[in-house]
Amino acid sequence: MDNLTFDYRYGFRVKENYVFKSRKGLDRKLVAEISYLKKEPKWMTKLRLEAYDNFVKKEMPSWGVDLSAINFDDIYYYIKPTEKPASSWQNLPEEIKETYDKIGVPQAERDFLAGVSAQYESEVVYKSIKKELSKQGVIFLDMDSGLREYPEIVKEYFGKIVPSSDNKFAALNTAVWSGGSFLYVPKGVKVALPLQAYFRINAEAFGQFERTLIIAEEGSYVHYIEGCTAPIYTTSSLHAAVVEIFVKKGARVRYTTVQNWSHNVYNLVTKRAKVEEQGVMEWVDCNIGSYVTMKYPSCILAGEGARGEVLSIAYASKNQHQDAGAKMIHLAPNTSSRIISKSISKSGGRTSYRGLVYVSPMAKNSKVYVSCDALILDELSRSDTYPTMKIKNKDVEVQHEATVEKIGEEKLFYLQSRGIKKGEAEGLLVNGFIEPVTKEIPLEYTVELNRLINLEMSGSVG
Amino acid sequence: MTMQNSKLINLNKEKKETLIFNKPGDYVVFFENLSGEFNFRIEAENVNLEIYGLYVGKGNDQFTIKTTQHHIAPNSSSNLLVKGVFFDQAKFFYRGLVRIEKGAQKSHAYQKNQNLVLSSNVDIDSKPDLEILANDVFCTHGSTTGYLNEEQIFYLKSRGLKESQAKNLLIEGFVGEIKEKLKIKNYNL
Repeated sequence: MDNLTFDYRYGFRVKENYVFKSRKGLDRKLVAEISYLKKEPKWMTKLRLEAYDNFVKKEMPSWGVDLSAINFDDIYYYIKPTEKPASSWQNLPEEIKETYDKIGVPQAERDFLAGVSAQYESEVVYKSIKKELSKQGVIFLDMDSGLREYPEIVKEYFGKIVPSSDNKFAALNTAVWSGGSFLYVPKGVKVALPLQAYFRINAEAFGQFERTLIIAEEGSYVHYIEGCTAPIYTTSSLHAAVVEIFVKKGARVRYTTVQNWSHNVYNLVTKRAKVEEQGVMEWVDCNIGSYVTMKYPSCILAGEGARGEVLSIAYASKNQHQDAGAKMIHLAPNTSSRIISKSISKSGGRTSYRGLVYVSPMAKNSKVYVSCDALILDELSRSDTYPTMKIKNKDVEVQHEATVEKIGEEKLFYLQSRGIKKGEAEGLLVNGFIEPVTKEIPLEYTVELNRLINLEMSGSVG
Repeated sequence: MTMQNSKLINLNKEKKETLIFNKPGDYVVFFENLSGEFNFRIEAENVNLEIYGLYVGKGNDQFTIKTTQHHIAPNSSSNLLVKGVFFDQAKFFYRGLVRIEKGAQKSHAYQKNQNLVLSSNVDIDSKPDLEILANDVFCTHGSTTGYLNEEQIFYLKSRGLKESQAKNLLIEGFVGEIKEKLKIKNYNL
């Protein structure tokens, strides 16, 4: 099992064909230039420049993964692939279509998708929104178009949950952001189909800084899915995204991520939701790829009866370090949260669960449940659990539990005695282990995840 | 210091920060209302170590404690239980680490922190960490923090106890668990 080499399935590149490519490195002038090229309102330019100052001021995180190899001067911060977003599939450049064919977005399936907002490079070039969505008043755009067409809404919410002073990478993202999704769901509207965005990085040493803003008004519901695959590069890529979600009274938002970056990407993402009265926020977070990941989806439970949930899978193989987890900030009475984390480390990979549960003095009758399970598949691999619980209230129930173990020898023996090869048996057991999370995500992603796990375990798709 | 087995190691009396277990055997460690950093190094096989910590915080009491169950040798086990009851403005900062080194295969390590909170002004900070570098191990940790069980209070009241009596009984039961365990093993505090 140790000598398996897994060829990255989507490790291909297509010819680069850019309209504008910034110079490497970052300074105030470039930040202003990006904003100018995008014809942004003044307040956004100001926000970007403030963020740049914060980025320069902020220290690199001293904990978590090793980020010392990141060279901020060796990265392109802005690339514009084509002049205008294509309005239909036919108008997409051939190269980009080819990219999607390789990722496997079948032509026929696209019609079933409520809207495919596909990010190629730093700008969304293709999106198709079903007519019903527009009829319902749902706005689903790339972030740049969102800012152009709905500047008041964007101004009201942008950077309000994740300010640029939050951390170094949130500051960097705010300074140079490009693309991402802007999603607005009006009061009482329930979006029946999951909204998806495929995106990928496709230029060497080019960092991707997409910015996503979701606003779910009172009593609405939406499920947003991001899945990513990226080609292999010779130098390291940086992906620093920010996602902000506003869940209003009685609304429910589910945000599903299947992260499968190629094994040279630094994936440093800040994801945070603010949940009002009786609102529900669910993060489903699957981290399979990347070189290192630091990502802790958070819920600020600000309204009475708000609920937050994080379901997370982390898989780390050779040279990978997945530092993932969740944060639950209870600020109001009768709030509840649940974190389920499953991690697998193999062939020298390292997974770390890092979490925070904070129960404020106002959060009476709050309930917290955290469960972290880790599988270590061989003696080269490592697993850590770093939970923190800060409790400043008596009327609470806080539970945390974690287990670390190896794959069950007896189960493995049983399966092998039934004629199943060791690699396949391990794949079966690992898929069973993560099943509590995978059952929550749409079927096509479950299938892809299960295939990936089997591929990693046995070197073949069963 | 190197520990000898079959006698209760009372950290309040021993006043040692690093305890080395380099001979096989059963060991029991106890401490009460103690702040500090304590490192339990398991350097021999077949060590069975039990660690019990008890905290009762009242008024402006403040405890800061860090425990490390450090498994260096294989085939040993460690089992930690830290219980605390906190009244008034008491503060409790607990950091527990289980670290299993590469060579410490077939280790079993358990770590549990249970806190009973009886005032809204308390401040509890619990950080039970695991760092596992070996694969053939079994490790768990758990942490619970909460108020008394309302159903248990209701049951006792239905049996004729006053609310205050019922609460006291439940607190005594929670605190008494550790001392009861030591008594069964014939250890005297």
